Amino acid sequence: MIILYDYELSGNCYKVRLLLSMLNVSYEKKAIEFYPAAEHKTDAFLSINALGQLPVIQTGDLTINDSHAILVYLARQYDKSDTWFPISDPVRLAQVTQWMCFADSLTSSASSARLVNGFFYDLDGEACRQEAHRLFRIFDEHLWFNEREDHLWVVPGKTPTIADLACFAYVVLSEEGGISRMDYPAIRRWTDRVKRLAGFVVMPGVFPAGPGPVHVLPANDTFPSAGTAEA
Amino acid sequence: MIDLEAARYRWHPVASSTDLVPRHVFQAQLLGREMALWRADDGNVNAWENRCLHRGVRLSIGINDGRELVCQYHGWRYANRTAGCTYIPAHPADAPARTICNNTYPAVEKHGLIWSGEKPDGQIPSLDVLDTTSITPLRGVTINVPLENIALPLIDYYSSGQRGASGDSVVHYGADTPDPFLLILHAHGHLHTSANAQAVDTPTPDIAFFFQPLDAARTAVRGVLCGVDEHNIGSAALIALLKQHSFMLCRARDIIESGHRDKPVPTPWTPYIPKVSDRHASMPPLTSAGQQAKLRVRLSAIENLSPSVKTFRFQALNTQIESAAPSVLPVAQPGAHIDIHLPNGLVRQYSLINGPGQTDHYAIAVKRLDDSTGGSHALHDSLKVGDVLATSVPRNNFTLRRDAEHTHLIAGGIGLTPLLSMARALDHSNLPFTLHHFIATETDAINRAELENMSAAVHWHVGQDVQQTQDTLSALLDAPTEHHHVYICGPGAMLGFTRETAATRGWADESIHFEYFKNPDVVDDSSEFNVELARSGLSLQVPAGKSLLSVLREHNVGVQSSCEQGACGTCRVEVLEGEPDHQDVYLSDTEKAQGNCLMSCVSRARSKRLVLDL
Repeated sequence: MIILYDYELSGNCYKVRLLLSMLNVSYEKKAIEFYPAAEHKTDAFLSINALGQLPVIQTGDLTINDSHAILVYLARQYDKSDTWFPISDPVRLAQVTQWMCFADSLTSSASSARLVNGFFYDLDGEACRQEAHRLFRIFDEHLWFNEREDHLWVVPGKTPTIADLACFAYVVLSEEGGISRMDYPAIRRWTDRVKRLAGFVVMPGVFPAGPGPVHVLPANDTFPSAGTAEA
Repeated sequence: MIDLEAARYRWHPVASSTDLVPRHVFQAQLLGREMALWRADDGNVNAWENRCLHRGVRLSIGINDGRELVCQYHGWRYANRTAGCTYIPAHPADAPARTICNNTYPAVEKHGLIWSGEKPDGQIPSLDVLDTTSITPLRGVTINVPLENIALPLIDYYSSGQRGASGDSVVHYGADTPDPFLLILHAHGHLHTSANAQAVDTPTPDIAFFFQPLDAARTAVRGVLCGVDEHNIGSAALIALLKQHSFMLCRARDIIESGHRDKPVPTPWTPYIPKVSDRHASMPPLTSAGQQAKLRVRLSAIENLSPSVKTFRFQALNTQIESAAPSVLPVAQPGAHIDIHLPNGLVRQYSLINGPGQTDHYAIAVKRLDDSTGGSHALHDSLKVGDVLATSVPRNNFTLRRDAEHTHLIAGGIGLTPLLSMARALDHSNLPFTLHHFIATETDAINRAELENMSAAVHWHVGQDVQQTQDTLSALLDAPTEHHHVYICGPGAMLGFTRETAATRGWADESIHFEYFKNPDVVDDSSEFNVELARSGLSLQVPAGKSLLSVLREHNVGVQSSCEQGACGTCRVEVLEGEPDHQDVYLSDTEKAQGNCLMSCVSRARSKRLVLDL
């Protein structure tokens, strides 16, 4: 049984919960109160992860920290379809890695702004927001052109990868840091698509997308017309 | 500064057509006002105030279910096109009031963009000076700078021969600004792109940039390329072209924003948001009474459903495209009916069979009855497409709860009509239900193909005699199940038996919902009694042979009515004192026993005196 050291409001823990759910892997949660108790800085937790960061998973004698490292491990260990972390395709593997690094820069901007607003961190919230908007502009353009070529996910290809989940968490929580996504319509459509993946779960502040096709194309998509049911 | 007041009367682009993918809600902004834009499955584009009428939550985080928009917070549902509220989960037994209707704005698609405005009264800007045989929208780009500061630096950027990452040569543009919201760039020279190994020579399109005033300090630039033959140049070259312009626009944006960094930021615009839109702000007059014919509709289609059943489709008069206030029909919920004022002077009630989101018309299904008192004959024999009729607004005294664990719909013959609307709503929301349709012959199974396609179990009981029908119904109602609800509509005898059986078997009154076609009982109006109207301060005598409703009307006391035979529930009046003599078939036995309301069209008093809340 996998044990996940988890904080319900953490976006990084959310990435791991998402993939565990999408891969249908059962696990046990151990709640670590990040705020206000700061349990991640206690001796008990530091003995598990000296960095004092969530999430951490343990299985047998194995302990892995860092959300992205955990995503890589889970995808390689449990993904029977072998699509979430495509090691056999050097180009896509590089792209997945690149966008996971991009997701780390979202953690230091969009997530930091949320730490200022929601957890009273002493950081420059305005600078975090400005940087997040700069990144969102680039991300929106990337996703807009992906849609143009019928690519629905962060990394071009038929299936989502762990880069989608790595980017999703702090994008979808951005409004809690005062970062509106109104100017990023392609990002907003992509979050709908992620929400429609089988096994998707919500967390506080994340809303479900409702029924609809995952494979939404931006134009001329055929969809049953409401009028056809009329006698 | 742009003229804010004049801008309210213009059409503005608010999104690209391709932004509105199915089952998505787009978050837009115009003149400081947020809008929720969504495309229904029937293609209709809705532009609404971006707030739920309940607690003000943004509807852009809501759920577009293809027919209705559902608020994330408490699940209020708003119908396609009308924005009328159709269901409030916290009040599952009630039809929402007609005033619960979100503010809507006109929405039109043109030049590959969605256009809207607060109260636009002119034309959508024309691009007639350009080659509009084909229009290719560019990726929209937001610039955090006031609108009036954008056109000039953008002209500078484009005309100084800037080139993108993949551009090999330089294009020169001639600029034209017909008004502050539109910039036209006429291209001179060629743009070479190298999207693949061989450089592709593409035609150099003219560009129109529309400026969308998001807020005082924010502007969206929505560009369209004119005259690019998308099929001819191929998709790789087209994407290269779009990337080129996206790169250039982003670079221009960065230059414009950095040039504006030290300027004071203007105060954001504060849009006026009325609590209730104008068309709902007026309450019905106190003296309104009787069978009201508020709507004028045009019969737009007649279809045969079976040898004896026809559907009639009615549309609002004067629906105009590009009108600031296109006429929409008031929203209805499953189970609702309308009064139709027929050419022969009769007023008849018909259930709407519309599914959720089908808000551009009212549809009814009518069986031609041999013993008709003139309603079905008038509809079947004398109406033709194009006729204009008067109808009431929809009323719902047969509301569908959506919190049941299972819903049983039981229809006798043409009594299917309200249940058809319910089945369509339940099926679309994936709520569990079963439908039983009792019919005389196979040809009476209307809408069979559609019903068979639904996820629910649908049973047709064909040609059963009275005993067989009663046996089937008895089996269906064998034992009461908690959180199950039964809806039944059909002939009086069938309803009477069902209600009796359900009561005997222990079903709670409030879980059995019924609607009669007509009151099968003969009204006994031989009593006479006195009524006191608590709020009006009147004391009136109701003589034998005259209904309470008609006495109230003679004294200008407003009570709305519809069927006027105790079947529909419209003329319900609250009773404060005295014992009513119920003669209707609308109230349940429990409601009748409580004695705190009556149907004023047929019911009277057992006591000498009634005190009414009027």
